[in-house]
Amino acid sequence: MTITKDHIGGLVFLSLSLAYGSQVDTIRLLPGDELEPFHAQTLPYWLSIMGAVLSVALILTAERGSEHKLSLRGYDFALVAKLLALIVAYGVALEWIGFLLSTTFFLLGGFWLLGERRIRVSFGVAILFSLGIWFVLSQLLDIYLAPGQLFSGLMGD
Amino acid sequence: MLDGIFTGLSTAVMPFNLLMVVVGCFAGTFIGMLPGLGPISAVALMIPITYGLDPSSGIILMAGVYYGAVFGGSTSSILINAPGCASTVVTSFDGYPLAQQNQAGKALALAAYCSFTGGTVGAIALLVAAPALASVSLSFQSTDYFALMVLGLTAVAAFSGKGQVIKALLMTVFGLMISTVGTDVTSGATRFTFGSLDLVDGISFLLLAMATFALAEVVMTVLRREHKEEDQIVDMHALGSMKLSKEEVLHVAPTVGRSSIFGFLIGVLPGAGATIASFLAYGMERNLAPADVKKKFGRGALRGLAAPESANNAASTGSFVPLLTLGIPGSGTTAIMLGALIAYGIQPGPRLFIDNPDVFWSVIISMYFGNLVLLILNLPLIPYISKLLVIPRPILIPMILFFSITGVYLVSFNTFDIHMMVIITVIAIFLKLLEFPMAPMLLGFILGSIMETNLSRALVISDGSLAFLWERPLTLAIMSVAIVVLCVPPILERIRGTRTKRGPESAINEGEG
Repeated sequence: MTITKDHIGGLVFLSLSLAYGSQVDTIRLLPGDELEPFHAQTLPYWLSIMGAVLSVALILTAERGSEHKLSLRGYDFALVAKLLALIVAYGVALEWIGFLLSTTFFLLGGFWLLGERRIRVSFGVAILFSLGIWFVLSQLLDIYLAPGQLFSGLMGD
Repeated sequence: MLDGIFTGLSTAVMPFNLLMVVVGCFAGTFIGMLPGLGPISAVALMIPITYGLDPSSGIILMAGVYYGAVFGGSTSSILINAPGCASTVVTSFDGYPLAQQNQAGKALALAAYCSFTGGTVGAIALLVAAPALASVSLSFQSTDYFALMVLGLTAVAAFSGKGQVIKALLMTVFGLMISTVGTDVTSGATRFTFGSLDLVDGISFLLLAMATFALAEVVMTVLRREHKEEDQIVDMHALGSMKLSKEEVLHVAPTVGRSSIFGFLIGVLPGAGATIASFLAYGMERNLAPADVKKKFGRGALRGLAAPESANNAASTGSFVPLLTLGIPGSGTTAIMLGALIAYGIQPGPRLFIDNPDVFWSVIISMYFGNLVLLILNLPLIPYISKLLVIPRPILIPMILFFSITGVYLVSFNTFDIHMMVIITVIAIFLKLLEFPMAPMLLGFILGSIMETNLSRALVISDGSLAFLWERPLTLAIMSVAIVVLCVPPILERIRGTRTKRGPESAINEGEG
């Protein structure tokens, strides 16, 4: 039997619905709520059942041809993983070194990962763009951008 | 109604709002031109900017971006055969062959005129239909609202294309599941937070919309290695004349009229957006054409270009009817606008017409202005706007990523949101690879809490009995329509025995407008 995209999707959603349903009982109700016709557990309970039923329906009616198999050829997963890691690092850097520096490094990293190798262009665009956005946000729109914990610590704030 | 029109006019002609229309159309055209980014992504990218504006200006900006993105998509379809969004895929069928015959200027002009006519017909119809429907829907009760939500959610699934119905329904349920994360609005109980304080307020709409439609779309272009593709640079001096002869105008006029009305009607249906309208209008026009014209379809037929262009703009306008009057979005893009309106504290629906007449009418009036801006300003500037596409992708993509991330960060100033975006993006990419449509998930998420509140009220009033579903005639009628909408397409499909190929509607997965 060929495992197609629909089969995988159905199994994933079946697992999700069962996991979601198993957590419904952990929702704490107010005293007496269980006697009400509708409470905080009602919708999640029915959603988990609907999810499970639809997942089974998807598995049973799944396209079975080999052309519907999940093919991961031709995709650049490594680059996407690096790009997403860069975004996570940007999130961390925002807290530590502030908006201006972290944005400049994020853009430089992004340009480099995507194949831009002209150093002058990369630095020029990244610095000017970051400065421009920083100026618009902090000077024109008066949005407070924290300098970052590292600088706050060094300056003794 | 006249009072309303004047209220809308006075709000829409405020210099700042006019500026928003112009800026929105330009920004939308540029984003819409970028292959892979459609109206949904364009509107999603605008949400953080609109948070700083008043509701009327914000929604006017988003409406301008919506129009601009559809127009921008048509431009890249005609010039480089790379539709910016699913609703302009059909435009490339005859638009690109025209460009290859050195008639790109004529194709662009025709597309702009047809978009303008489609949008104008749509705006006039909206002007009449929206208040009428809004006044009828004022008598709706919570049971009817619940039934309407069910209709909206099932319609999106039903129109998602052959073989996609169950997947779309699953995504709707998934969206509803996500909407239950956080504090329950009726009882105050926390649900599925796993002890995390960051989840007590639930997952923000902005975060979900940006992660699934802006960040995920851009990352998908990298995943498909599209950032390495060299764009075909069009020689703007070889566009040819932008003038249409009198015979050509007379030749396409009936097509434009038919397709505009048809597109509007399709757009009004909850769930059926501009993509389906453009495909159906093209098919209808090909069937109506005499044999000699029919042969030209796909090889540069003017009618083949006019039909989808008129229909998709009229449908874009039509999709505002259910949004403004019933609070049910007609397409993925209007689903995002619904979320943005709710974030402003405005509840779209029958009360919008009474409580916020300025928002209601100014959106309708500004749509017409949007069409004018596209025709008067954007068309002559297309050669210059296209030059922005010369920016290399390795430079452009990190900038779009930056806007997606900071758009969310600058609202909450919580870096947890950035990490959450990455997690949602990974899930979205996985689901896209499995060909699950994203729009139903977002719709389920947005309508989830409103649906739960109305269901809760209806059940409490009927003392826990589900009899409210059939005791009130209006509720019964809406529920019956929902069942028909959901059941008829798969049954017809079975009867015809066409379980072979998926329809073009499955393009909804690629960012339906």
